[in-house]
Amino acid sequence: MPALSSTMKEGKVVSWLKAEGDPISAGEAIMVVESDKADMDVEAFEDGFLAAIITGEGDSGAVGAPVALIAAEEGDIPALQAYAATLSGAPAPAAAAPAAPAAVAPKAAAPKAAAAAPAGAAAGGRVVASPLAKKKAAELGLDLSTVVGTGPGGRITASDVENASSGAAPKKAAAPAAPAKPVHIPAPGVIAATPTARALAKKAKIDLSTIQGTGEFGRVTADDIKMATGEKKPERKKAAAGGAAPVELPDGFVAFTTMQRAVSNNMEKTLTTPIFRVSREIEMDAFNALYQSVKPKGVTVSALLAKAVALAIEKFPIINSSYENGGTNFKADINIAMAVAIDGGLITPTLKYANERNIMELGENWKELVGKAKAGTLSPDEYTSGTFTISNLGMFGVSQFDAILPSGQGGILAIGGTQEYIVPDKQAVLGMKKVSKMTVTLTCDHRQIYGADGALFLKELSNVMTSPQVLMK
Amino acid sequence: MKITSALSYFLFAAATSSSVALTFTPTSSKLSPSSTAFSTTFRRQYAPSKTTMLRMSDDSTGEYDFDVIIIGCGVGGHGAALHSRAQSLKTAVFAGGDVGGTCVNRGCVPSKALLAASGRVRDMKDAAHLSDLGIAVEGDVTYDREGIAAHAKNLANRVKGNLENSLIALGVDVVEGRGVLTGNANEVKDEATGKVYTAKDIILAPGSIPFVPPGITVDEKTVFTSDGALELPYVPEWVAIIGSGYIGLEFSDVYTALGSEVTFIEALPMLMPTFDREIAKMAERMLIRDRPIDYRTNVFASEVTPGIPGEKPVTIKMIDANTKEHVETLEVDAAMVATGRVPNTANMGLESMGIETQRGFVAVNEKMQVLTKHEDGEVVPGVWCIGDANGKMMLAHAASAQGISAIENIAGREHAVDHDAIPAACFTHPEIAMVGPTEEQCIERAEKEGWTLGKSQGNFRANSKALAEGEGNGIAKVLFNKDTGKVVAVHIIGIHAADLIQECSNAVAAGTTVQELSMMVHTHPTLCEVLDEAFKGAVGMSSH
Repeated sequence: MPALSSTMKEGKVVSWLKAEGDPISAGEAIMVVESDKADMDVEAFEDGFLAAIITGEGDSGAVGAPVALIAAEEGDIPALQAYAATLSGAPAPAAAAPAAPAAVAPKAAAPKAAAAAPAGAAAGGRVVASPLAKKKAAELGLDLSTVVGTGPGGRITASDVENASSGAAPKKAAAPAAPAKPVHIPAPGVIAATPTARALAKKAKIDLSTIQGTGEFGRVTADDIKMATGEKKPERKKAAAGGAAPVELPDGFVAFTTMQRAVSNNMEKTLTTPIFRVSREIEMDAFNALYQSVKPKGVTVSALLAKAVALAIEKFPIINSSYENGGTNFKADINIAMAVAIDGGLITPTLKYANERNIMELGENWKELVGKAKAGTLSPDEYTSGTFTISNLGMFGVSQFDAILPSGQGGILAIGGTQEYIVPDKQAVLGMKKVSKMTVTLTCDHRQIYGADGALFLKELSNVMTSPQVLMK
Repeated sequence: MKITSALSYFLFAAATSSSVALTFTPTSSKLSPSSTAFSTTFRRQYAPSKTTMLRMSDDSTGEYDFDVIIIGCGVGGHGAALHSRAQSLKTAVFAGGDVGGTCVNRGCVPSKALLAASGRVRDMKDAAHLSDLGIAVEGDVTYDREGIAAHAKNLANRVKGNLENSLIALGVDVVEGRGVLTGNANEVKDEATGKVYTAKDIILAPGSIPFVPPGITVDEKTVFTSDGALELPYVPEWVAIIGSGYIGLEFSDVYTALGSEVTFIEALPMLMPTFDREIAKMAERMLIRDRPIDYRTNVFASEVTPGIPGEKPVTIKMIDANTKEHVETLEVDAAMVATGRVPNTANMGLESMGIETQRGFVAVNEKMQVLTKHEDGEVVPGVWCIGDANGKMMLAHAASAQGISAIENIAGREHAVDHDAIPAACFTHPEIAMVGPTEEQCIERAEKEGWTLGKSQGNFRANSKALAEGEGNGIAKVLFNKDTGKVVAVHIIGIHAADLIQECSNAVAAGTTVQELSMMVHTHPTLCEVLDEAFKGAVGMSSH
């Protein structure tokens, strides 16, 4: 980095006028540097080849620091590039495009007779394609030299051939031809490409003759190159049926909020827990009847469910335990956490000592907790002290689902919606009756809790809920 | 100084029928100041009409029909006519069917209109620049080609009308027909009517026409000169511009702003061959490198064949300037020929007066008197030549200045135009402007004449106003005589360069020294502080 003025301490490279591998001669301008005063061209002092760029466009370097390496001999370039890579600690800037993913191959299968417009030039280089790609191309009658390869080193893969033949690239609005119009064939030696197309193709190391041009007289335009490198996507038809306004879909990366990040981290932590799941259908008629009677007093279904689960856990305390290295960590407190969806995320307010408190108190407490959850004012103790979790999606019409077991707990109960069934009943009129049933699914940590434990717990829960007067004690 | 390659035009804001004050600063101390503002004495009171009847009666100066006949109604002729009337001289202008001349109809005026419109399109599409200022444009910026072309045409017509009215209001006789010399002294014939008029002095101001090199077929549709380009009949996808001087550069600015791609074809080894080299290098970076423009130098367009829009492209064969071997053929949508202008002096009777031209250029002395030939010619009494036709400085305001100078001499006050003090500008975005010779020429001159050259620079990067606009690119370079302190030349590239150059050309004209300039207060915050930085720097002072 030269000192372009006496006050300059560092300079920003505005642009490189030469690319890696280009020959340079003494006195030739090779880069433009922005100093504290103005943009200046910087010339090479010696002849040689620009082997490796250390400070890229837009980056700054201190005055006196090396910004590029120049090789005296062309053969020295690879060694210098390797050296440069060690300096920056990053891989040397790769040539763009042919490795670009999802390249939309140019519409090579166009009916236009003069598709091979830049006529003689296509015959040039070797076409590298995988065996399957060659076979597919032969099947489809596709000229491989017109397909852009996205495989290693620009190799044409089978999917490239498929993309090219499926006509993935829609017609550009500006495409010149009604097929009836005579297609112009450039005179021999004429490169049918605009100045920017040529510059972009050179930078992306794309052979112009492989690109179908959509400009005037069939010449290749910058947009054609950009489509080939995947930088530009073909225009999508936005019009929906009946002239409805197009749907605005979220697009692009949106960073997590703190809560979302916390949930995501917690979920990842659960991946190492070995779990199993047990489901059971529970008849809900008695429970529903009880709920109707206590509803006026402000008791919610959630509170009732929490108490029912807590009473079942009393009989099978292993469900309330957590795995600890070498043993089981039993917890005497039964704190039922219930998942609540709030704006921007989800949180688990907890009903503590749910087995000990009466249903009214639990109902009050739950209302309070939900209010705080929505306002974002829950204290950590109110949402991190759960020993067992209930997740209820029944209100959305879900019939059954499995919940993910949170770390540090033994079990989580996933509750589906209540549905009505006709079941046989010898004692009923016509030998059948209607019952309401709800499917619950228990997910447990199999390190300390076994299948039978889970099954027995669910049976106990079913007993509690079908004889729910015990909840009123 | 003869400039024969492609040059710029200047907007000459023609006066309306109100008074015009013309002041002229003579360069030689023995000359008296010229006469000043008009009074209403000289205004004829009659209904203005486009073609006036010639008055042969009352005000005639005796033996001649007119004191001064001016052949050509362009900027040069107009300037001469206004100044002639200021001296109360009976004046006639032969318009040759082209009131306003090149500048108004086919040059400065319409091209500035195109540059203004396309410049705004460029600014509004420059999302990065706008976002630096905190602005975003939602949706696409679109333009209507016809609307832009109409703006240029309407402006040209308006200025043309104003110009003609200004002449008539001042009592100039405007003759429709083309004026030619008859071979007899003091005579001018109206080619349209055949009538012969006499005048004591005849000023030739026939102007110039675009030069089309051999091998290039112009159809003014797909292959066109600046005449055709200004109509803007369509915006080509890819246009080749043959010649990289002011005109070519300005048009590349218009075309690329409107969405075209450009290839310059230049015969000399470098682009913008007449520009100062340092400025040309910056211009290459600011006006060419980041735009959809590429170029070929050292090549001639040996054969240019017009195309048919939609059917056949324009074919351009290029040969190496030295070896004359074929190097490349281009197929483009349009080709613009911007290879300079040649004098419009054919068939106007020059030979009949014994006047020999060189490539069409008329030889003149420093007083604008016509000489019989360029080498050791003799003065042809009573005949003067101004503007592009004499080739001394092919710019509109130079023509006007020469016209005024000729009238000064006719009025008996010896005068010579100091061409070194006449500025020039190129109205690209950003603009380029200059007064005086290039740095390379200054170095030669200093060595030859035995003085020390000083150089000082101001940077737009350091200027608050430029930075506020987000236009911090550019420099102003002041070249001065270290021994006397006088400013010799100034070159500016940057936003509003064309306006900034004025204080510099005033300094050159008046012989102001950098010492004096360094003490002159420049408004803050304005772009002129770039010059202030340079002036102060020249004398070792720092500026803000």
